[in-house]
Amino acid sequence: MNAGGSAVRITGLGFLGAPAGDVGGFTEALRTGRTALVPAPDGLGPALHAPAPSVGLGAATAAMPGLPEPVRLRALQAAGRSPQPVAASVVAALEAWLSAGLDREPLPPHRVGLVAAGNNTTEHYTEQARHRYLRNPVYLPARYGLHHQDTDCVATVSRVLATTGEGFTVGGASAGGNVALVQGCRLVETGAVDACLVIGVLHDLSPLQLRGYLTLGAMARAGEKDPPGVPFDRSHRGFSPGEAAAAVLLESARSAAARGVRPRAEIRGYHVGLDANNLADPSAAAEADAMRRALARAGADAAEVDYVNTHGTGSPLGDRTEIDALRAVFGDRIGAVRLNATKGLTGHCLGAAGVVEAVAVAVQLSEGFLHPDPGLTDPIAGDCRFVPAAAEHVECGLALSNGFGFGGFNTSVVFARSP
Amino acid sequence: MTLTRETVHETLARTVQLVVPTIDAASVKPELTLSELGCNSIDRAEIVTLTIEELGLVVPVHEFQQGHSVDTLVEVMLRYA
Repeated sequence: MNAGGSAVRITGLGFLGAPAGDVGGFTEALRTGRTALVPAPDGLGPALHAPAPSVGLGAATAAMPGLPEPVRLRALQAAGRSPQPVAASVVAALEAWLSAGLDREPLPPHRVGLVAAGNNTTEHYTEQARHRYLRNPVYLPARYGLHHQDTDCVATVSRVLATTGEGFTVGGASAGGNVALVQGCRLVETGAVDACLVIGVLHDLSPLQLRGYLTLGAMARAGEKDPPGVPFDRSHRGFSPGEAAAAVLLESARSAAARGVRPRAEIRGYHVGLDANNLADPSAAAEADAMRRALARAGADAAEVDYVNTHGTGSPLGDRTEIDALRAVFGDRIGAVRLNATKGLTGHCLGAAGVVEAVAVAVQLSEGFLHPDPGLTDPIAGDCRFVPAAAEHVECGLALSNGFGFGGFNTSVVFARSP
Repeated sequence: MTLTRETVHETLARTVQLVVPTIDAASVKPELTLSELGCNSIDRAEIVTLTIEELGLVVPVHEFQQGHSVDTLVEVMLRYA
C-alpha cells in the first residue's frame, strides 16, 4: 500500500507535438481548450488529424534555455539524421531532463533508467525506405538497420543524455504510455535506478496503419457530411490520430529531496491487466477492475478521486464502455468526479498517449485547473460531470489516468498533487 | 549526358556536409579519406549510398572498402556510370 511517503515523484516534464513545441505551450493549449485537430487533406483517410510540425533538431535545441553545449552537440550528432519520431522524442526528453534540473544536480549515469513507450513506431519509416529499395536494393538507407528498430529511440536518448541505467521499449498498443509509466515506477520503486525517464514516442502512422484502423472502423473516416464528434459526444464516430512526443521523469522521493528539486506531481498507484481477448472490443468489467486495483495499490478509495483523465478516444463503443466502467467504480459519486478527454485536444497519440496524458495530469494538478472538452455539446452520459466549455479552476488532490488498448490492455494510473 | 568527375566529386562533397554538418563540403579534398575527414563507419555508408542514389548509379557494396580516398571513391563511381 502506498499512502504517499514513498510515492514516485514526477520531477521533469517534456512535450513536443501538434499542440505545441514545449510543456509551456501545451499547458496554454490545455488551459484555453485549443484543439490541434484539423481536417485531414486526403478525402479517403481520417476526417481529422493532428500532425506535428517538422522537427528541426538544430532549431529546437537552440531554443532550449540552459541546454549545455556538449549535450546539444551530442543531440545533433546522435539524432540529426534520425527519423522524425526519434528527433521529437529526443527534444521532449531533453526538456524533461532540463526541467528536472539534471544538468545542475546530476545523477550517476547508471542510476538513470530509460523506458520508451510505443510499439511499431517505425513502420512509416520502413515504407518510405521501401520506395528507395524498390528502385534498387543498394539504395536502401544505410542507417535502415538501426532506424527500423523501435529501440533506436532508447539508444539515441541514452547517447544524448549519456545514461547507462536500465532501458528498453514497452508496448501496450494504445495503453503503452501507461504501461511504460508502470515499468518506470517499478524500476524506481525496486531501487534499480534513482530516476527513470519515460518517453512517449511520437507515432507517425504509415498509410497501411491508417488504412488498417479505418478498415476496422476504429478511426473516424473522411467523406461524411459532418466532422466526427469529440470523445463522449453523441456525434462521435471514431478516433482521430494525433502526433506528439512526451516525456516524464520519475524519481524516488529520496533522490528528489537529495537533489533539492520540487516534484510536479506524484504517482501513488497503478494497474495493468489484460482481459483474455485479442480483439478490439473493450470490457467494462476489466476497465473497472484496472481502476479499482490501481486505487488499492495507492491505498486510496474511489471516494477520494477528484478527477479522471479518461482514455476517451471518440470511439462510440470505447467511450460507452469507459462510462460503464466509471459508473461501476464510482457508483453514486459519478456526478461528483470530474472528467475530461485530452484526446479531444491532442488527437489519439497511440502508444505515446499515456505519457502525453501524464504530462497533462501533472500540469493540471500543479497549476490547479482542469482543461475543458470543447465540442462536447451532447454528452452520451447525462450523469457524468465533464468539464464544461471553459477550463475549471480547481485544486484536485487525487486523479486517475486511464489507458485502454486493442488486445485487452487495461491500465489506470493514480496521480496525486505534490504539496 | 555523361557523368563528369567534377559532378561526382561535387555530389559526394555536398553529401558529406549533409550527413556530417560539421564537415564543410570545401574541405573534402581528393587525397583524403572520409575517415580522415571525421566520418564514422555508418556516416561513410550513408554518404556513399546517398551519393550513388542521387547520381542514379548502381554500385555493389563491396566496391566501397574502408580506406579509399575521396578520389578513389569518385573513380569507382565513374566506372559504374
